[in-house]
Amino acid sequence: MVRGQDPQDALQPSAAPVPAAQVLEAQQQRIEAMRKASLATVGVFGTDSQGGGSGVCISPDGYVLTNFHVSSPFGHRMRCGMNDGKMYEAVVAGIDPTGDLAVLKMYGRDDFPTASIGDSDAIRVGQWCFAAGNPFVLATNLQPTVTYGLISGVRRYQYPSGTILEYSDCIQTDASINPGNSGGPLFNANGELIGINGRCSFEKRGRVNVGVGYAISIKQAMNFYGNLRSGRIVDHATLGFTVATDNQGKVVVSNILESSDAYRRGLRFGDEVLKLGDRDIATANQLKNVLGIYPDFWRVPLRFRNEQGVQDTAIRLQSLHQPGELDKIVEGSSERGRQPPGKPTPPDPKDPPADQTEPDKPAKTSKDPLADRYVARKGFGNYYFNRWELDRILSLQEPKKPQLPTSGNQDPKRIQFTGQVLGEPTTVQAVFDPEKIHWTLGDKTESVSLKNGWSPRIQKQEPLPIAIALRLWYQWHEQGPRALGETTYIGKSPVLGKQDLLDDTRIVLGEITAHVYTSSLSGDIELIELYTDRQTDPAEVYFEYAPEASLQRLPSKIRLQYGLETRLAIELTGLESQAFVSPASDAGVQP
Amino acid sequence: MIRPIILLVFAWLCGSMCPGAQAEDQPQPSPRSGLEILFQSAQQSVVKLYGAGGMKGLESYQSGIAIGDGNTILTSWSTVLDVEKVRVVTHDGRRLDAEVIGVDPECELALLKLENSKLPGFQLDPALEARPGQRVFSITNLFGIAAGNEACSYQKGVVMAIANLQSKFSGLRSVYRGKVIVVDVMTNNPGAAGGALIDLQGRLVGLVGKELRDQQSGIWINYSIPVDVLVASVQRIQSGKTRNANTATLAKNPHKTADLGLVLIPNVIPKTPAFVDQVRSDSLAQKSGVLPNDLILMINDQRIDSQKSLQQVLLGIERSDSFQILLQRGTELIRTQVRP
Repeated sequence: MVRGQDPQDALQPSAAPVPAAQVLEAQQQRIEAMRKASLATVGVFGTDSQGGGSGVCISPDGYVLTNFHVSSPFGHRMRCGMNDGKMYEAVVAGIDPTGDLAVLKMYGRDDFPTASIGDSDAIRVGQWCFAAGNPFVLATNLQPTVTYGLISGVRRYQYPSGTILEYSDCIQTDASINPGNSGGPLFNANGELIGINGRCSFEKRGRVNVGVGYAISIKQAMNFYGNLRSGRIVDHATLGFTVATDNQGKVVVSNILESSDAYRRGLRFGDEVLKLGDRDIATANQLKNVLGIYPDFWRVPLRFRNEQGVQDTAIRLQSLHQPGELDKIVEGSSERGRQPPGKPTPPDPKDPPADQTEPDKPAKTSKDPLADRYVARKGFGNYYFNRWELDRILSLQEPKKPQLPTSGNQDPKRIQFTGQVLGEPTTVQAVFDPEKIHWTLGDKTESVSLKNGWSPRIQKQEPLPIAIALRLWYQWHEQGPRALGETTYIGKSPVLGKQDLLDDTRIVLGEITAHVYTSSLSGDIELIELYTDRQTDPAEVYFEYAPEASLQRLPSKIRLQYGLETRLAIELTGLESQAFVSPASDAGVQP
Repeated sequence: MIRPIILLVFAWLCGSMCPGAQAEDQPQPSPRSGLEILFQSAQQSVVKLYGAGGMKGLESYQSGIAIGDGNTILTSWSTVLDVEKVRVVTHDGRRLDAEVIGVDPECELALLKLENSKLPGFQLDPALEARPGQRVFSITNLFGIAAGNEACSYQKGVVMAIANLQSKFSGLRSVYRGKVIVVDVMTNNPGAAGGALIDLQGRLVGLVGKELRDQQSGIWINYSIPVDVLVASVQRIQSGKTRNANTATLAKNPHKTADLGLVLIPNVIPKTPAFVDQVRSDSLAQKSGVLPNDLILMINDQRIDSQKSLQQVLLGIERSDSFQILLQRGTELIRTQVRP
């Protein structure tokens, strides 16, 4: 009761206070934010429309973010219900069993409503937020349930609880998160997506909300999204070193692998770690927390202090799991999901476990409209999407493909790139013919075989790998990457000096592995990394294109880098193709 | 009668906190809202406590609040405090050691002493009464989520009722049976006991109680102990009515547990609680009504926190003198007189 007001008055309907205009306005804004947010909220069900969790649509062509633990019981096929009251058929694309994320793809529209992505780094304790989803599978009419609450904590870390699921740098909320909310969106008060709800603290209270729910930050989810679209089973990262808090409260390196990139960049035992990514590090816990938001092999900035002072560098992260380790975990969890306790069902021949299907063959599920959208392969949630993404990045270049020389296009050919060292009169030449790769710097020419002998050149950090990269650049455009070796689309990765993430494709070329980074807008190759192994710095060959100057779309500048040091920068002046005459057949006519 | 209050509270909330009500043209990062500022200042008075436990569903952590000059911590009296020094972790990550200076068994509250904590203490205003319908927030380290300098967790709620925790007809088994603030949100989780319940001005309106479940319905009750009860309890503890064991004056011919007819559980750890294992027939203890499984909490208002302190206290009482003994039997507190 309001003080000083007559109790009798308060009981009169006519005396009911009129809410302030501000209150009504705030309410109207909240209603609007929830209405908009509900449009993109997805209910995830089995193909029999049973069971389920939640998800959120983030692209008009139907890509959905959800939890791995929501998608895994359904195997690779599910149905998604949306606020328009319709069910859409969906398949799983990529999965992240460590970070509890999965990406699904819905079919049936090309204008799915999407959530606008918010900034999860900007949220603070005390701000309002709301969750939308399908708790207790209540949404039989497919309208999501919305629960309102506070941001109770930020940057929380939740240890793996009996599984490998690790929630790092997550958001804690007291908005009700119940079974069925898993995988669904957490929005800020403006209706922008800030997290994927996934876990609660329950302990002895049974599986109902106790005012403590956790959401994976949307920053982490979007870091992984590009990789998840590749259809792979994606992995998290380790640093290659551990830290401890010393007696002065500093976070110092307590152990470091000499094979790690951090070691190669100069980090040593006892150095103080100051910053990883864009986050200051004040405790050992914080480092673990920040690390969790990055996929493996990402190159992230690191600031540390040694005897010489503060050092800024960038390190490549290593994989958290051994090759094949995640496949086994995924296998286990999807089998658990398929067989409810007490009801063992014989394996359905139409629905083979992912690892038993022959590679590259669509699973033949009779009458399934999406049978051709699923391809089982070891290491993948759904290999179909890997092929799809590779086709996508190749098609980006279609409108303005580099014009390769056509004169003398008869086989066999001899391809010759010519240029000169940037700022010097020294000329360079990279030539490859059907027999060898030749590299000329000034007056010195050396040759390597087309298939091997490359590793020592990379290990010794020689300039010749520029020629190997140029040949790869040429062949990528002439034959397409699939003709070159085992090709896998990795996802989107950061490249030093670039604002946006680039598409990352891995090609195994015999003894070395190449990573080709292409612009997500133009499809142009911007970087080729040549790895001998993960214990040695790769040769990094950066390509620059003069803006629209060259109609041929050929690179204008090429720069070779090892570690963080430029080894050689050249300006490209010409590319020609000639008919190849084998020196061996010439031998007879030479004097 | 409740509605106008809720609406007023809500108007205040929306007016000052809803992002929608903030100026649109503010540069990033957005200015801190009233609630963010409130939480930031209130959390400095909440501490994380670590002590005994860690097995069989007994947590080894709980929450506490700094009161007064900041060198006194008020918290729930629980097994977590059964250690020589309780580890206190402050909002800024400092690790301090605190000593239990006294307990109030009836309210299940304890006071801890810190040296030079530099914490802002909550001021306990007994006139500050929570009212049904009032918006409140809890700040606790529930589930031990926060560690080091990480902030404790916040939950929003509304006061549902002010009531007594009577257990006569209900299935509630609580030692404390007095007045509580019942809230509509799951505040009383593991580790939350001893945390703060604050109002919209950041003032302390209650101390989050221990976990409590109704045995009949299985429902968990979420409650806090109101400030007037806290103030009275703190005064009782500070006035020395409940003191730690003191061996200043030794009796010439003191009581001994064996002579009283008490057999305690094996004394295996430094702070083995004074649990009664057996009571010999026709002994003084039996005549006073002591039963096996009773826990001896106090003798003559001196706190018994271990078998060691029980022996020390008994050493100060002449065998010919009678004394008062406070027992916990299940959730009942029983006072009895031992008369030689």
